[in-house]
Amino acid sequence: MTAGKVTVRLTVNGKAYSREVEPRYLLADFLRHELHLTGTHIGCEHGVCGACTVLIDGKTARSCLQFAVALDGAEVTTVEGIAGDGPLHPIQEAFHEAHALQCGYCTPGFLLTTVEFLRRNPTPTRAEIREALTNNMCRCTGYLNIIEAVENAARRLSGAGEVATERTR
Amino acid sequence: MNDREDFTLIGRTVLRREDSYLLRGLGQFLDDLPEPNGLIHIAFVPSPYARASILSIDASAALALPGVIAVLTGKDFEGDVKTFAPEIVIDGYREVRRPVVAVDRVNFVGESVAVVLAESPYVAQDALELVEVEYDPLPAVAGIEQSLAADAPVIHEKLGDNLLFKTRFETDGFEQHFAAADLVLEEEFRTGRVTGVMIEPRGCMACPDPVADNFTLWTTTQIPHIVRTAIADHLGMAESALRVAAPAVGGGFGTKAHVYPDELIVVALARRYRRAVKWVQDRREDLLTNIHAREHVLGIQVAVNRDGIIGAVRLDVRTNAGAYPNHPYSCTLEATAAVRMMPGPYKIRNYKYDVCSVATNTAPTGAYRGTGQPSAFLAIEGMMDRIGRKLGIDPAEVRRRNVVRPEEFPYVNVVGVRYDTGSYLPSLERGLEMIGYDAFRKAQPKDRMVDGKYRGIGICNYTEVSGTGAPGWRVRGFAKMPGFDSSRLVIEPDGRITVYVSQADAGQGHYTTFAQIAADRLGARWEDVNVIEGDTSKTPYGTGTFASRGSVVGGGTIIRCSEKVAVKVRRIASYMLDIDPERLVLTKGRVCDKDDPVKGLSLRDVAETAYSMNNLGLPQGEEHGLEATDYYDPPMVTMANGTHVAQVAVDPEDGRVEIERYAVVHDCGRVINPMIVAGQVHGATAQGIGEALMEEIVYDAEGQHLNANLLEYLLPTAMDVPDIDLAHIETPSIDTVAGIKGAAEGGVTGALPALANAVADALSGLGVNITRVPLRPSFILEQIRKARGQVPG
Repeated sequence: MTAGKVTVRLTVNGKAYSREVEPRYLLADFLRHELHLTGTHIGCEHGVCGACTVLIDGKTARSCLQFAVALDGAEVTTVEGIAGDGPLHPIQEAFHEAHALQCGYCTPGFLLTTVEFLRRNPTPTRAEIREALTNNMCRCTGYLNIIEAVENAARRLSGAGEVATERTR
Repeated sequence: MNDREDFTLIGRTVLRREDSYLLRGLGQFLDDLPEPNGLIHIAFVPSPYARASILSIDASAALALPGVIAVLTGKDFEGDVKTFAPEIVIDGYREVRRPVVAVDRVNFVGESVAVVLAESPYVAQDALELVEVEYDPLPAVAGIEQSLAADAPVIHEKLGDNLLFKTRFETDGFEQHFAAADLVLEEEFRTGRVTGVMIEPRGCMACPDPVADNFTLWTTTQIPHIVRTAIADHLGMAESALRVAAPAVGGGFGTKAHVYPDELIVVALARRYRRAVKWVQDRREDLLTNIHAREHVLGIQVAVNRDGIIGAVRLDVRTNAGAYPNHPYSCTLEATAAVRMMPGPYKIRNYKYDVCSVATNTAPTGAYRGTGQPSAFLAIEGMMDRIGRKLGIDPAEVRRRNVVRPEEFPYVNVVGVRYDTGSYLPSLERGLEMIGYDAFRKAQPKDRMVDGKYRGIGICNYTEVSGTGAPGWRVRGFAKMPGFDSSRLVIEPDGRITVYVSQADAGQGHYTTFAQIAADRLGARWEDVNVIEGDTSKTPYGTGTFASRGSVVGGGTIIRCSEKVAVKVRRIASYMLDIDPERLVLTKGRVCDKDDPVKGLSLRDVAETAYSMNNLGLPQGEEHGLEATDYYDPPMVTMANGTHVAQVAVDPEDGRVEIERYAVVHDCGRVINPMIVAGQVHGATAQGIGEALMEEIVYDAEGQHLNANLLEYLLPTAMDVPDIDLAHIETPSIDTVAGIKGAAEGGVTGALPALANAVADALSGLGVNITRVPLRPSFILEQIRKARGQVPG
């Protein structure tokens, strides 16, 4: 096929990988098809929906807009790396308890956005959470339970304990 | 059996079991499935023209590219795939058939003119650009008025014009009743063209079975059984030779409740090449070619008396079918939905409608969450406010005077739809109370508030058609829509339970709620119930998951099936315990004497006898096994209801609408899992907000699609959806199993008119008349300028 494959070395979820791919190979495809980490989902391939969000060297990025080759040597975290083989991360638990996912397709992107956001802003206001979540689109939940999940996760991670919230039901 | 105690799991929030793998990124969506060896990747060459003759297709450059297997055109499919059409039997319907790949003529931008087969998706994309198609562009029509114009180009020439469907209805003595009222109010409403935009686009993969001459189609569908029937029919295959399975599906919203040409093509190619064939859609293809919806023009005339009571309604609805009928609902779905559902919660006894569906050079339209209802309620709820303004009656009071009152149920509406139960008036009153309606009306200055923004409140009372059975589909001409759903429930030898359901989840939480239902009826732990669905090889036949039917029909059949199995459990336990079966109850994983629970057995004990795993043997005449199958065809429809009340602030400087307060009262009968119902309400309301304020697919007059990307087709974000004050009223159905009604669509139906009415209320002092959605800032600014006499230019 296309000649001239290049070697790409990435550390993904703490594990080092090396693969020969075309220079135009997208990070999302690299993760999904070369490493079989299919939790990174592709929703729009033009950087709007955020389903493919991963962390590159700790910062959120659209894996559908990045060429794998340009990231040679980088550290990438995908949804599979949030909890690894262990119990769910407090953010994942908070999503579960607040019913913050329905089809679950956009969820990996929201989780990674939340990981970075709460690291940067451990005690956010509801308005700040809403603003941070505009990074990602969800078509099932109407966002309200995601906002609640991020609020709860923030409390849990900052050690403040969870304040009982009255869910709209 | 139906006493309250049996509903201990029905009605309870249980956290979802599907979350554990989805949260770890382990969900198996279509593009996540392991790929078979020798997989062929396909891509479609899209038409850049809305209407054109195809003069030639030159694939030589594409074929020269290493890794390209073939390039096929429409003619290459003529031998083995029939042209595509659903079976619709209704007066006024004219059939148009669609080739799965265009032959000689293209009729909308994005229509496939050729298929590239390649060894990798990257190569397939490269090859697309090398296929040279020569077109002769023809005049095109995009809008409804253009399509109906006397000199319009005729899209399907054999028809002679662009009218694909037309029907009418009139009650006895309509004109006299219409003339008898004190005054007539008239308006024309329009809804924008929108689409589902599931975050997972569509895709499918057909795999030959290496053993027999069989195929498996993995596809992102809400209706696997209907897909199987359609493919077998159009490809001339035995249905038994085709398995259609839905993996995890990333949102559906009706968009995935259609059969698409690509699903036929991958199976046809897998059959031809004896290799697995896969196609995954990108977002541009989603917005260009997946089913679009709405785009209704609704002319409405309401004859009303001075007391605000409606005497008669005349409705004229025109819908844009797009270039071809969709499968399986054709171009009649939105048309018949809008006119049949318009009466909603109101006592309209004199009614006349005319409705048509016209062909245009745009993508085919079809089902999307709410189907017909958001448009219909935009019209009738818009008129409620106009009646109030005209007669000086509070708009909430106009609704009170016209609504079907609690003592009037069961009520049969003017087009023959039975409303068995409902809470229309209590729901309205509750919604008004939640938003502080009276206080707002007292405080609201006629003109504007101190901060320079105009404020208004909008109300929508809606009814929500749910759980449609065969009679409901037949009356609208859907000759082959099953209507029923089915289940097979097995108590396994270890006493645990498997339930196979003919539904297909796309995020609704069936794996949890259906387990709750079966467990509830069998007195088992819900954790011990495994739910299997979305696979024609595993479940009995059924209709699928759309049109708010999952809980009513899927839930209903599971309850019936559980009760059938419970009879056998009691029979065998009676034999084992020597207790009359009538005395036995199933509770807490046991079968026991209702008055003396110590006398009992575990489900496992009974299962061991049923499966001959002990020395007890079976009673005389009893068969082995512990299972049942059930087919449940619900009534014509089951009507859920609710009320949305929105308070908005409109900024006249930038035209932005801010939703300040939002109240929803929701009644879907017996609730299975309150958390999941709230999630459905939130999600549907967000989609209604999108449709009311921002979403719209735009075609220019030549049929060019102008915004096939998510930067220009705007979806609501976390900043756009306000906090929702949500209240439930639970008025069980008396027509369905366990009183369940559907819950998935009312949010859209309620939000669209509530927001349009709120903006209209806010701007009414300026003389602005809101008659269409979406209400984007530029449109609102233009209306305000017009009203102030500042029309630019």
